[in-house]
Amino acid sequence: MAQPFLKKDDDHDDEVDYSPFLGIEKGAVLQEARVFNDPQLDPRRCSQVITKLLYLLNQGETFTKVEATEVFFAVTKLFQSRDLGLRRMVYVIIKELSPSADEVIIVTSSLMKDMTSKTDMYRANAIRVLCQITDGTLLTQIERYLKQAIVDKNPVVASAALVSGIHLLQTNPEIVKRWSNEVQEAVQSRAALVQFHALALLHQIRQNDRLAVNKLVSSLTRGSVRSPLAQCLLIRYTSQVIRESASNTQTGDRPFYDFLEGCLRHKAEMVIFEAARAITELNGVTSRELTPAITVLQLFLSSTKPVLRFAAVRTLNKVAMTHPIAVTNCNIDMESLISDQNRSIATLAITTLLKTGNESSVDRLMKQITTFMSDIADEFKIVVIEAIRSLCLKFPLKHRSLMNFLSNILREEGGFEYKKAIVDSIVILIRDIPEAKESGLLHLCEFIEDCEFTYLSTQILHFLGIEGPKTSDPSKYIRYIYNRVHLENATVRAGAVSTLAKFGAMVDSLKPRIFILLRRCLFDTDDEVRDRATLYLNTLGADGAVEDMKEFLFGSLDIPLVNLERSLKNYEPSEESFDINSVPKEVKIQPLAEKKAPGKKPTGLGGPPPGPPSTIDAYEKLLSSIPEFANFGKLFKSSAPVELTEAETEYAVNVVKHIFDGHVVFQYNCTNTIPEQLLENVTVIVDASEAEEFAEVASKPLRSLPYDSPGQTFVAFEKPEGVPAVGKFSNMLRFIVKEVDPSTGEAEDDGVEDEYQLEELEVVAADYMLKVGVSNFRNAWESMGPDCERVDEYDLGPRENLAEAVNAVINLLGMQPCEGTEVVPSNSRSHTCLLSGVYIGNVKVLVRLQFGIDGPKDVAMKLAVRSEDEAVSDAIHEIVASG
Amino acid sequence: MLLAILISNFAGNFLLERFNGVPSEERLHWKTFLVKLGADNLKGARNEELFVSSQKSVYIVYTVLGGVCIYIVGKDEYDELALTEVMFVITSSIKDACGKSPSERLFLDKYGKICLCLDEIVWKGILENTEKDRIKRLIGLKPPNPTEI
Repeated sequence: MAQPFLKKDDDHDDEVDYSPFLGIEKGAVLQEARVFNDPQLDPRRCSQVITKLLYLLNQGETFTKVEATEVFFAVTKLFQSRDLGLRRMVYVIIKELSPSADEVIIVTSSLMKDMTSKTDMYRANAIRVLCQITDGTLLTQIERYLKQAIVDKNPVVASAALVSGIHLLQTNPEIVKRWSNEVQEAVQSRAALVQFHALALLHQIRQNDRLAVNKLVSSLTRGSVRSPLAQCLLIRYTSQVIRESASNTQTGDRPFYDFLEGCLRHKAEMVIFEAARAITELNGVTSRELTPAITVLQLFLSSTKPVLRFAAVRTLNKVAMTHPIAVTNCNIDMESLISDQNRSIATLAITTLLKTGNESSVDRLMKQITTFMSDIADEFKIVVIEAIRSLCLKFPLKHRSLMNFLSNILREEGGFEYKKAIVDSIVILIRDIPEAKESGLLHLCEFIEDCEFTYLSTQILHFLGIEGPKTSDPSKYIRYIYNRVHLENATVRAGAVSTLAKFGAMVDSLKPRIFILLRRCLFDTDDEVRDRATLYLNTLGADGAVEDMKEFLFGSLDIPLVNLERSLKNYEPSEESFDINSVPKEVKIQPLAEKKAPGKKPTGLGGPPPGPPSTIDAYEKLLSSIPEFANFGKLFKSSAPVELTEAETEYAVNVVKHIFDGHVVFQYNCTNTIPEQLLENVTVIVDASEAEEFAEVASKPLRSLPYDSPGQTFVAFEKPEGVPAVGKFSNMLRFIVKEVDPSTGEAEDDGVEDEYQLEELEVVAADYMLKVGVSNFRNAWESMGPDCERVDEYDLGPRENLAEAVNAVINLLGMQPCEGTEVVPSNSRSHTCLLSGVYIGNVKVLVRLQFGIDGPKDVAMKLAVRSEDEAVSDAIHEIVASG
Repeated sequence: MLLAILISNFAGNFLLERFNGVPSEERLHWKTFLVKLGADNLKGARNEELFVSSQKSVYIVYTVLGGVCIYIVGKDEYDELALTEVMFVITSSIKDACGKSPSERLFLDKYGKICLCLDEIVWKGILENTEKDRIKRLIGLKPPNPTEI
């Protein structure tokens, strides 16, 4: 047995310190390369120099353009030598040097000669080198030889040509696609590797032709493919065909399943595994289909080969996410893998077991994991932590042992990511399992006593401030928090002061003592800590309403930080103090008109280009500058631009819907894309017959619309105040068109009136909803209370998958998804999505959507709405019911 | 695609590196990652014992051969099993070129020959030859055995 890292090779004890490349230096090797120019070539010496060059290149050394050219020219002289070993080295070094297009010419004739040589090996190598350095023109010249080479009886030559084809397909697809017949012939070759390369190339040539791939798979699955590697490719291509044809089968039989199942009995392990994996990944795979695949994977679990064990457990780990029951039979085999020397295998085994285990096996499993955790790397530990978190949510009764486990590992050594994963898990468990709250909070308190990560300390302090006051004995946390004020850096101290204030606000009995502690913080060395202490002492001590104080301390900042930052930067110190209500709440959307006109020239010299203005600010400024709209009040929302014309049309028009309390303004952004035309007096004639609640009150035409210089025209409608009226509007662009002389740029005096039909436009319920996120949905939901809650269930009918249904509802409501819940894990059967927003009239709305999908892809949804106004909660339900 | 074949000594110095389709700015990251992987797992490993790992959608198979560590990185069709095949060809060809499992010194002595072997085994990320006897003939520009044709 070898003892790497410990033992030297006995045979070479005296040589270990000596390397043939010791002290190798690029300049010296380049000097040595002059030997290539000798009239009497010494093949041995030349080979040694090439080896040195290869060593340098393999060490990541780079040659300058001049150096590379010099060496390349010198190397080409070596074609004169008849020494076979040297010739082989020459082929390699030319490929490594990758000569530039203008240098290739010098070696082309030599390589072309080799390519048509009677010596097979010259042909194979010349093909590879030529294909690496060739361009399209040269390729056309040698195409005939390459096609011959593909069907050459020497497998080395055929493989060289086929692999060249795979590479050339990326750069010269049109040429390579012409070789289809030859490649098709090569697929039938008796040589295993030729078959493998030919199949890969043929599939790449036909990959965009679904029918051709189907035909290829049909014919090959009936015949016999010799090479196991080619058979694996065939299985992959077959899976692709099954995936694409799944929706077309009406009989219910899965095409090619028998082929995949047959491959499970192949003699090559590689093929067996590929087939098993393909079966487990079939869309909507049934237990019956899955069973034979799981059986072979179970056998692999006890294989002596680590790669097979790894492959099997990795696949089973994936299957466990969608079909945990199917994997349960393998649990005993996987338990023995926990002690596998290969830690990747052990980690996969543990996480799979955590997914498939039942409640009674949790304690035993945790015992095994405890011993295992100490000798794996942090990245594996994080995977285990995440699996334990899921397990705990699955079996909440086991929270005690799982929480203890998490707190124990929290005390051990570990990096930031690892500790963060543990803290996140504890926080999630506290939130979702009420019984785990008190013990979880104490574990976190103990952790911050000795936590080296500022970020984690402040996060935990923030969390303690929210959850701690709601516990049966809040006073027991104060000591841990106040210790931070003495022992930590300024950031953590400031966090601790805020947390203390939250306890003071929520727990009346603690308030006097909190005051004492906060007063001590007034003498802190850091100004942020002192400022916070002063602020909280004044807030808590003031006579104002308790609700206001709580809103100030616990309310989420419901404005996007980026907007707040911009408003603060724009604020100029004056008598008038900064008003946080003036900060726009809408998440910034880039208007299409701005995106579409990137070619604008700078307007002048000096100064950096101005940053993008806040869209809402810009819209508000624009609208208030138009007298007709000046008295519409505060702008509630501006939509993203909606295209009213197809791309590449004569006139490009999109519309932005501006929503006011009692009005709606359509801003039509128009671009004239015809250089020979000037448009004047541009208006949009809007037919609102399908929008009964809307009445047109004003219109602002665009005086002139020259070529490629966007302009706007507006139409305003009145609607019932505060009512989320909806409707459909048809639009016609009307204008006077004047011919422009392209040479002078001058327009003719007379113009012709013309019209241009635009797409229809709708005002929908989502237009009355602002996308405003909340930082902590659960807290926001609880603080909103169930008074105005409305819950109902809906049948969304058949859908492709859950993600599609979730997206449809999010778009319908126009609300902001929270906590990443808009992402639906693939193959999920159920999903919860959290949304928040502000409805017209400045009413906060929170939505909790619970989706479920059954066998025939029917999606059902439970919609729970909480808002500050029950009429709004009802309105949200109406939107969904009518959507 | 076979993304990389790297061979290092036990001290973590790379003796040979061949990347395919890996941007140069990511290469150092990969080398550092592989050295750490080797240092964590290859201590006390048996000669030619295979180790396997995966990093997102990329597979890594690595081993110790005499005095050097060999790492192969692949993705898509070059999964852990295909990489094992590649590893087997590489280790047997290196042993063939060196006459036995090489020490670091022997590996460097036969460096040119080993480069030729690798050139026959993998070309721009695609496995080209899998038979060590054939590779032995090909690096000397001798055709494969007539029985193979």
